[in-house]
Amino acid sequence: MLDITKAELKAAFADLSIIEEDYCQCGYHLSVDLTTKDILDVADFFDERHFYLAVELGVDYREYLEIVYIFASHSSLCKVKVTLKLDPSHPAVPSLSKIYDCARWYEREIHEFYGVRFAGHPDMTYLFLHEGIDFYPLRKANVPVPAEDKELLSSFSPEQREDALIVNMGPQHPSTHGVLRVVLRMDGEYIEEAYPVLGYLHRMQEKMAENRTYYQFLPNTGRMDYLGAMSFNLGYVTAVERLVGIDVPARAHCVRVIATELNRICSHLLWVGAYLADLGGLSPFLYAFDDREHIQDVLEAVTGSRLTYCYFRFGGLYNDVDEAFIAGTKAVIARMRGRFPLYEKLVSGNVIFINRTRGIGVITKERARKYGVSGPVLRGAGIGMDLRKKEPYAAYPDLNFEIPTGRNGDALDMYHIRIRDMETSLDIIEQALARLSEGPFIIEKAPKKLKPRKGDLYHVVETPRGELGIYIVSDGSDKPYRMKWRVPSFSNLMAFPELAKGNLLSDAVAILGSLDLVIPEIDR
Amino acid sequence: MTNLEEFTPVALFSLVAILFALFSIVLPHLLAPKTRGESTQGTYECGIPPFGSARVKYGIHYYIYALIFIAFDVDVLYLFPVALSYARGERIHEFYALLSFVIILALAVIYAWGKGVFTWKRKISHL
Amino acid sequence: MLELARANSLWPVTFGLACCAIEMMSSAMARFDIDRFGAGVFRPSPRQADLMIVSGTVTKKMAPVLLTLYEQMPSPKWVIAMGNCAISGGPFVFEGQYNLIEGVDKLVPVDVYVPGCPPRPEGLLEGFLKLEEQITGKRRFPGPVERC
Repeated sequence: MLDITKAELKAAFADLSIIEEDYCQCGYHLSVDLTTKDILDVADFFDERHFYLAVELGVDYREYLEIVYIFASHSSLCKVKVTLKLDPSHPAVPSLSKIYDCARWYEREIHEFYGVRFAGHPDMTYLFLHEGIDFYPLRKANVPVPAEDKELLSSFSPEQREDALIVNMGPQHPSTHGVLRVVLRMDGEYIEEAYPVLGYLHRMQEKMAENRTYYQFLPNTGRMDYLGAMSFNLGYVTAVERLVGIDVPARAHCVRVIATELNRICSHLLWVGAYLADLGGLSPFLYAFDDREHIQDVLEAVTGSRLTYCYFRFGGLYNDVDEAFIAGTKAVIARMRGRFPLYEKLVSGNVIFINRTRGIGVITKERARKYGVSGPVLRGAGIGMDLRKKEPYAAYPDLNFEIPTGRNGDALDMYHIRIRDMETSLDIIEQALARLSEGPFIIEKAPKKLKPRKGDLYHVVETPRGELGIYIVSDGSDKPYRMKWRVPSFSNLMAFPELAKGNLLSDAVAILGSLDLVIPEIDR
Repeated sequence: MTNLEEFTPVALFSLVAILFALFSIVLPHLLAPKTRGESTQGTYECGIPPFGSARVKYGIHYYIYALIFIAFDVDVLYLFPVALSYARGERIHEFYALLSFVIILALAVIYAWGKGVFTWKRKISHL
Repeated sequence: MLELARANSLWPVTFGLACCAIEMMSSAMARFDIDRFGAGVFRPSPRQADLMIVSGTVTKKMAPVLLTLYEQMPSPKWVIAMGNCAISGGPFVFEGQYNLIEGVDKLVPVDVYVPGCPPRPEGLLEGFLKLEEQITGKRRFPGPVERC
């Protein structure tokens, strides 16, 4: 696939510079540098070959601004990085929003943070920031926002009509799972248009990453996705290890997998509880939290935290695991396996639950690809891609497990996939426990000051919500030059306005819940 | 002509109901500290000031639903005194009178049901 | 007497912003039951609540929303600032920060501060008991200091 793509790309665009890169070093296979006149054609090229746009981001290199697009494929391992250099005083690029729907929000983000103009973009209003911020935050120099740009950004007003009611499903709402605001234009009980407004929890993580060393940024990773904190930790730590070139002992690999999978079960359990609470059934909430407490006890004994873990270090772990952890994990596995029949009876067979979720929020494969969704939402749509199998990291290459895939793409499928994900996690933990070998848990000389190579890296891991991509640009020092977090909930949320259109308000709540969003990772 | 004294329990009951409601309104008014902020009396919409007005043209299906509810609420209101006086009668034709009353009103419900007032489409696509 | 009634039935408004919200939810669940102190009913609407547990980071975009909700709560009302972000900005304060309110006490008067990142549910329960002590003047259970 890679060779075919490269040959076709060379044939179609003879004057572009296409370089083959070392995937193990930088996480992508090809790197293409182009000018603004070619970007739409190249995007069309990838769209025809069923690639999805994994991320679109901006980097400020002081003399020029660079827009980086990463195209990846669901079916095979082939990643292409496309870069565009722009003049920092008047950065302008054609918008990809007609080809890839996910580009709409990525481009709004780049516009707010860098000031890049995207020609042909339908809607350039504030996504994360607000009127009080009058400079472009992620630029290295202090560039103020010009007045006409500010006007454009603040011009959000949903079209008002005589017979449509505009309702805020506001930041403070029990069903939005965090501080998400959705402005709904409703015709009676049906939703005509949904406009998500983000940024109520924008904690400037990407700017902090540029001001902190790699070590100092480690606690932030757990706070981004607090439910799947171990997987964010794992992604960050493996990315930096790849950048610096540190090898991790086998014991650490196994323990990392066990901890991450336990965390994945916690996250899915909370999702089950919260989703059922949104739909009105308050009892599974209590059962799910009780199960979570047992897992959190086991993890707390080794890591010290209950929720926002910071357990991994560059080169291994912070603390070794002992017999109590292994015994506790085995007890958790036995207990969870006994609890699944309970969830079957309580939830899966419940007529009300089935009627409220069957056929609701159906995502087709094509729309899933255009939006770049990932994780259980993508697997529900029918595309069986799991990064633990596709681009394995830590101890995953040696483990055997099945990837559950759905058929219909509705909310009921997403529920079943997450339950089976939990069962798969139990299998993975058992295999990892069997492979747990004696040995060191951290490398001998963990470097006090990291010396990463110069260049960039795009590293992906599978979090409970989907594909987490970390793009690090390093200038050789121990602080990252730019760190972009491509979070799964951001691209999953992009599908919501299309899915909610024409549905009843209560079904829209069911759809929002089935996407499993965690807002701090969206807002970063 | 029934004796007016038979209605004293009703009068007592309504007096207690009114006093109960007044008590729970007046007592907090006297006891609670008074604060007033800018948005204290405003509409609650998850913390954001509301867009536009709430008086828009809304769908007709809400109206028909409410209409049928009102009709049957009044129906139940009529059934209450019948239930009270029913215990005293021993003649069977009272039962048939009541039954025909209920059937006539039920026919209206069945008509509405057939016309689809109670089924709302799950998803509409003409937007 | 009135204070006793108010202290033993503090109804919080669901104001979970970030990670601390999960620990707040945990404290309302079966293991660390907050319902035994009377606070089991988390009201989504501020008009029916008298306690606001600010759990999570308050950003400048969220500040007007928080103020509106605080004003829409009827008096008497109390505020617990839960977690380091609500107390003083938490781990997100850095040179050049542009979107953070460093501590919710810059917006609303706070009665109890519960530190931690996130604080354990037992910490929140201790904060709750301290608030009850502030309202009634007497502490419900002897604390760790009194017992020794």
